[in-house]
Amino acid sequence: MAHTEIDWPATLRATDSVEQAAAVRELRDVLQTGLRVALNGRSDVSEAHLEDFTQEGVVRILARLDQFQGRSKFTTWAQAIALNVAFTELRRKRWQDVSLDALMADGERMTEPGMIADNALGADEDRMRLVAVLRQAIENDLTPKQRAAIMGELREMPFDQIVELLGTSRSAAYKMLHDARRALKQRLHEAGITGADIQNAFSL
Amino acid sequence: MKQEEERLTSGQVGSIVKMLGLTTDREFNCTECLQNVSEFAESQLAGKPVTEIIARVEQHLALCPECSEEYDALRKILQAGQ
Ligand SMILES: [Zn+2]
Repeated sequence: MAHTEIDWPATLRATDSVEQAAAVRELRDVLQTGLRVALNGRSDVSEAHLEDFTQEGVVRILARLDQFQGRSKFTTWAQAIALNVAFTELRRKRWQDVSLDALMADGERMTEPGMIADNALGADEDRMRLVAVLRQAIENDLTPKQRAAIMGELREMPFDQIVELLGTSRSAAYKMLHDARRALKQRLHEAGITGADIQNAFSL
Repeated sequence: MKQEEERLTSGQVGSIVKMLGLTTDREFNCTECLQNVSEFAESQLAGKPVTEIIARVEQHLALCPECSEEYDALRKILQAGQ
């Protein structure tokens, strides 16, 4: 870690200076080295991808310098952003052919009677009851978009893809999912199902 | 979509229930998680005490497979640099 002494944000902001150009090159090296470590062994990542992710990461970081609050090393903060750029792109490519109709239809399947088996969490009475309450809440308390988003998550569809298909913003989609989870949790709560019951049910 | 299975698996139903167990009223979204995950990663590696921000990042990572995937990669980088 030879460069912990650099004041990265200030140097990167110093436009048209030799120092600034050197700092950008240095940042690019740091990011690329990190991405190489992180993505090592992935068959879907080429040298050209590494270049692209690095370049896009640098652009994103320079645009967000004001958001760096100094609560970690600058390079750690920057790596997190470059990783987000890389993984977002890699996930997008795997799922690019799925349509909104398919996602919505998949969400509606959650309300089909056989979709969640009575004994999905086990055959004892408490677990069967939890599943029954959950199934009813999914049907009555969620919107079609909320069901679609949850199904997308269960299918391990990237969140960005869900956001894009639903035609909303990332934060709006996250809020929609958060509201859905809270509504379902509230129903379980009303049915007298406690946090301990939930713990018990999913630790199968 | 991958729809080869007609009904949700026990694991998927378990995931929904697990998500509900982890749900709190005030949560970080992915953007807020990304903004704070570097502090979380460094404090985890250094074994520092848990602050409110750290706890929220941890809660988000438990719920969000994507941020969690990126966090694992960040850890890998930090460990390689140590
Ligand atoms: Zn996330």
